[in-house]
Amino acid sequence: MLQVQNIEKYYGSKNNVTKALDRVSFQVKDGEFLAIMGASGSGKTTLLNCVSTIDRVSAGSILLDGVRVDELSEAELARFRRERLGFVFQDFNLLDTLTIEENIGLALALNHRDPGEVQGRVREMARKLGIIDILEKFPYQVSGGQKQRAACARAMVAGQSLLLADEPTGALDSKASKNLLELMTAVNRDPGATILMVTHDAYSASYAGRVLFLKDGRVFNELFRGDRGRPVFYHEILDVLAALGGDVSDVI
Amino acid sequence: MSVTLSKLSLRNAKRQAKDYLVYFVTVVMAAALLYSFNALVFSREIATLSTGLSMLPVMVALADVVVVCVFGWLVAYATRFMLRRRGRELGLYLLVGLESGQVARLFFLENLAVGGCALGLGVALGGLLYQMLRAMTFALFGQTYRLALGFSLPAVLLTAACFGLIYLRALGRSRRYIRRANIHDLIYSDRQNEGAVIRTGKGRVWIFTGSILLGILGTALLMVSSLPVATAGAGCLIVALFAFFLSFASGVPAFFDRRPARKYRGQNLLVFRTLTAKLATMGALMAALAMIFTATLISEGTGLVFRGLFLGRASDTACFDLYLGMEGKDRDYSLYQDYIRDHIPVEESVSYQVYLAEDHRVRDYLESKTVYHYFNFDRDPVLRWSDYAALRSVAGYPPVELGEGQYLLHCMGYLEDILKAYDQPVTLGDLTLRPGGVHAEHLSQSEGENGRGYILVVPDEAAEGLAVNHTAYAAKTREPVPFEDFYNLTVVMDKIWEGTGLGDTITTKAQAEAEVASQTALCVFPLYYLALALTMTAATILTIQQLSEVERYRKQFALLQKLGMVRREMARALGVQFAVYYALPALPPLLIGVPFILHLARLPEPGVMVGASSPWVILVTSVAVFFFIYGIYILLAYTSLRRNVLPEG
Repeated sequence: MLQVQNIEKYYGSKNNVTKALDRVSFQVKDGEFLAIMGASGSGKTTLLNCVSTIDRVSAGSILLDGVRVDELSEAELARFRRERLGFVFQDFNLLDTLTIEENIGLALALNHRDPGEVQGRVREMARKLGIIDILEKFPYQVSGGQKQRAACARAMVAGQSLLLADEPTGALDSKASKNLLELMTAVNRDPGATILMVTHDAYSASYAGRVLFLKDGRVFNELFRGDRGRPVFYHEILDVLAALGGDVSDVI
Repeated sequence: MSVTLSKLSLRNAKRQAKDYLVYFVTVVMAAALLYSFNALVFSREIATLSTGLSMLPVMVALADVVVVCVFGWLVAYATRFMLRRRGRELGLYLLVGLESGQVARLFFLENLAVGGCALGLGVALGGLLYQMLRAMTFALFGQTYRLALGFSLPAVLLTAACFGLIYLRALGRSRRYIRRANIHDLIYSDRQNEGAVIRTGKGRVWIFTGSILLGILGTALLMVSSLPVATAGAGCLIVALFAFFLSFASGVPAFFDRRPARKYRGQNLLVFRTLTAKLATMGALMAALAMIFTATLISEGTGLVFRGLFLGRASDTACFDLYLGMEGKDRDYSLYQDYIRDHIPVEESVSYQVYLAEDHRVRDYLESKTVYHYFNFDRDPVLRWSDYAALRSVAGYPPVELGEGQYLLHCMGYLEDILKAYDQPVTLGDLTLRPGGVHAEHLSQSEGENGRGYILVVPDEAAEGLAVNHTAYAAKTREPVPFEDFYNLTVVMDKIWEGTGLGDTITTKAQAEAEVASQTALCVFPLYYLALALTMTAATILTIQQLSEVERYRKQFALLQKLGMVRREMARALGVQFAVYYALPALPPLLIGVPFILHLARLPEPGVMVGASSPWVILVTSVAVFFFIYGIYILLAYTSLRRNVLPEG
């Protein structure tokens, strides 16, 4: 589904250039749950921004279902984002002035779906994610976990093919984090959503099927979960992080 | 520490002026307006233009009181607003060890610095504004304007005193607030929010419907020519506006909740939610702003109606340099003649009599066609052709023809078309005359001097034997008749009244024009002064509110961009959001102001409010003036918001 080929990203002006990504390549298959890990400044958010077309790469190419996203115009990119990508952010990024139902429905409204169908589709998705009871509430009236579920619903309600999550558990307590990760695992299994999650939390990453480790803008290592249990995979991730030189405080 | 504090104050003051540029510009304009009108009051040169201007200081002082209250409200509101916005920063000062007194002094000093700068700039700008007012006043009185720059010290002192009142009151309150507040209150001051006042569904619908009905009732009562009833109408409108905005804020979401398909169509969702979020917290403020806009529109309309009224009445009566209307037939007016001969150089004059026809057919015709109020004449008024021709010459009009066996009609402009359609003959004694044409130049007809609105002009022989209504004299003078001569002639008139009981009328063109000028200066200037102050205050508060949301809007549009909304759609959503936000407080004032202004402009007697003073022209001008000033603020806010919140294209 997603092919990232030798991408590079530079920031700054002529005399002060920072290389955020250095020849990064990987692929994500349909229905895969991939986590990208790395310490602060490793380039993981830059990578996510490039994949999500919010930022443009300096070199290399990104293909989603065979389409080179780095060659699309602004209008095509906007259309691409609203039709193909779903976003889940650390700070939820729900609009305060909209109810939960409206926040989820926004993705459909932006896609110019038939307004008469919006409410029904929102309710169907909310039921799947267990937030049907809070649809009429405003974001400030619900918990962080519920907000993040709403964000997930928004990321999937329009049938987006790739869900991009940037530190989705960053603002949640451990119980809400666990619930969210279980939910993400469930939607990865059925209906088979493809998920690309950026995190620096080993516990979150252990829910993924594969983990890519970034260090100084380059892919440092890659771990496959295979048939192993999640706790075992979690410890393997910790081992890699230790090898990466990360501090314990960075990974818990 | 004091050095550091003053530096910090200065830096903050600069930042405040930049962040709240619209507010700062309005405060500068407030100082300019206050100074220019105060300078008008203290100007000896203006006072000597006419004795009719003796009431000008009182009128401007009254307007000053209202303007100081209005600007005081603006400054108090903006100060409170900034205090809330900057609570976190002020709290941090306390956190790092400054005492609350020092922080209060810091806030006080920087606001004083902003106010001081605004006062200085405003007085400088006011100097120019005063020149504009001076030029307008001179033009009103027909005097030649010459630029004479300079500052009036009393006006500067009065303006500074007004500013002192405005600022010290607002700053005193914030100083007390900071002194009493603790760090937590300050740091989290931006989290305090008002809630929706009315929430229940049924109550909301009732209140919304009631507010509309009350608004209609209030507008109707406002148009009743009785002060107590009109005051009750104003009261109804105030209640209606508050009820409308408070119920509207809760009503819109309910409307869309019942129609989900409509909610998700186009930009509706974003527009209505942003709007209701704003209204939920500022419904009462919106109502207050709508009240201000209503007062503004009414002030502007009333000013123009007064101007039209004075001008319309004077243009008809001021068609002769000197006119005497005298009760009775073949009046001896030697007392007047003696004075005129000795003091007023006359170029051309005519003494004549106004007769009465044998019936009132023309009046009957007019009454069947339009609203016509006759007085003074129980039959159709008549002029002899030779007198009419001489009167035209005295008034400076081109000569006209009267055909054999014909009569002419001379009327006020508003009756011209109706009388042109009049094709009936006139019978006077044995003579039957056919219509020979209609003329409509000003001929002193509004007050019944040469007929009331119209007069028949007949061959001299046809007027023989007709009853005389009154005697008159009109003259063209070499120079405009000075006020002193006008006054002395009225003294003669009073003597005649005391001696004979005959009531006469004296008008001079110069006096009529001076009266128009004085009345205009007395009524129109203060009303427009108020209107300007009111519009600027309300538009500034709306703009401060809108621009304070920049950060929230920026986050919202950044998210929408990530979600795939194209810039064009974002710009459209922002534009619609913006248009609705600014239209909402202006809509009820339009619904109240439009019928009121039209009604007011139709109140004067027919024939006065015509041409540039006709009701529709006054209405369109008032609305255009209002939206011109309002539009400047809208444009400023929109360009600033668009630049700051929409993602790069």
